[in-house]
Amino acid sequence: MENLLMEFISNTGFVMADYRHIIMIMVGVIFIYLGIAKHYEPLLLVPIGFGILIGNIPVFKGLGLSLYESNSVLYYLYFGVTSGLYPSLIFLGIGAHTDFSTMLARPVLMLLGAAAQMGIFITFLGALALGFAPKEAASIGIIGGADGPTAIFLSAKLAPHLIGPIAVAAYSYMALVPVIQPPIMRLLTTRKERLIRMEEPRVVSKREKIVFPVIGFLLCCFIAPAALPLLGMLFFGNLLRECMVTERLAHAARTSIIDTVTILLGLTVGASTQADIFLTPQSVGIFALGATAFAIATASGLIFAKFMNLFLRKKINPLLGAAGVSAVPDSARVVQMVGQAEDPTNFLLMHAMAPNISGVIGSAIGAGILWSFLGG
Amino acid sequence: MYGLDAITANNGWHMAALGISIVFTGLILLSFTVAQLHNILRLFDNRDACCKKIRGLFKKNNNKQEVGNSDLTLPNNIKEAAGQCKLLIERIGEPFSLPRLIELSEKCGMSHPCSTINDLILAGFIVPDGKGYYVWNQDDQNRSGA
Repeated sequence: MENLLMEFISNTGFVMADYRHIIMIMVGVIFIYLGIAKHYEPLLLVPIGFGILIGNIPVFKGLGLSLYESNSVLYYLYFGVTSGLYPSLIFLGIGAHTDFSTMLARPVLMLLGAAAQMGIFITFLGALALGFAPKEAASIGIIGGADGPTAIFLSAKLAPHLIGPIAVAAYSYMALVPVIQPPIMRLLTTRKERLIRMEEPRVVSKREKIVFPVIGFLLCCFIAPAALPLLGMLFFGNLLRECMVTERLAHAARTSIIDTVTILLGLTVGASTQADIFLTPQSVGIFALGATAFAIATASGLIFAKFMNLFLRKKINPLLGAAGVSAVPDSARVVQMVGQAEDPTNFLLMHAMAPNISGVIGSAIGAGILWSFLGG
Repeated sequence: MYGLDAITANNGWHMAALGISIVFTGLILLSFTVAQLHNILRLFDNRDACCKKIRGLFKKNNNKQEVGNSDLTLPNNIKEAAGQCKLLIERIGEPFSLPRLIELSEKCGMSHPCSTINDLILAGFIVPDGKGYYVWNQDDQNRSGA
């Protein structure tokens, strides 16, 4: 009996844990705290934070408990991440959620969404320069797209061993958009520019909204077919929303499906950050590059908006460029917040949604391009 | 390998440049298409009116073609008939009425005078003077059958 007790005690987490597990558990607790107390992306940070706790309970190998053991429950749940299933379903939900009318009303703002994708490719170069392999560098670069599902999708295809750090970095920085972006926005714009008012967008007809997902899908996927799993679902979700005859499906996509997938995605991505795999010098590099990617993406959008103003008769508020990073709708909210700090009667949120949504499309195209370059 | 050497060795510059170019191209194309979308839909809404316009254009073209085609049916000896008519017109004086010219042509033994004079009108040899009478067209360049 004594032996049995000793064997049991030796298999408990208290005995098996080392300092790395403690560090990761603290990270998980911080995520949960940020989500609940600070309201930073709670729908993502709470599942990921709890997933980090799940993944960092020290377990006896061979019992089929760890996410990386092929017969464990978590392994099967994680299949949705490694196969790219969850990101595609999240895009379906995003499409069913999103109203593209601001983008349709002022399509020129889509260029800001393209400009912000510079962050992806400049970070890709940075990661290559730091010695990462091309596939790893591409997966790190996509953090600059500020789009968690896209980052997970591309990492699953190109560098599955980096999904954990990349997903955590992407979602952490997405949650920290209100902290990261405003200083860059203030640094790169003058007060006069921040005060620019946008003219009222035209009214977009229902038929335009119905036709757009079909045309948008065909055009984008003919240009970058590798973006099909993401953009196909995004535009399909949007068609369900707009066509008026599939309201039940659209409702399911934007509520139960996206909620279920968000839970499973967040939890399993969090659980994939097991201390022995996650706490490596590589992860530190990924976090540093991720922050750089975000900053570059924001700056690229802002600078391109200023560049566009050189040619436009009716100037646009350059703050909108920062919404080109596809953290929907957080970066648009930040634009509104920074704009209103200068002029409380200036409402930029609606206008910022245009580059914000085109940023989602742009980052998915970017991911598709990198996958087609390096996936072979 | 690190630094710029690593980027060059892994073809990084080309991939980055091409990648951002494709993203821009894609979104510019989408932006352009979206900008034209409401115009295309408006055209679709007014398709009946547009069809009518197009049909009208075709009809005009057909009429023109008919006029053009009538040139082809002109008899080969139009110049000879024109010469005969010119002599008759010099006799009756300008401006002249078509019935008078037809009557005189019949008297002079011209075969199918109505048809021949019609051909001369279509070919621009005989033109209206704007006051209900006709005159001989002296300007060779304006004659389609000449």
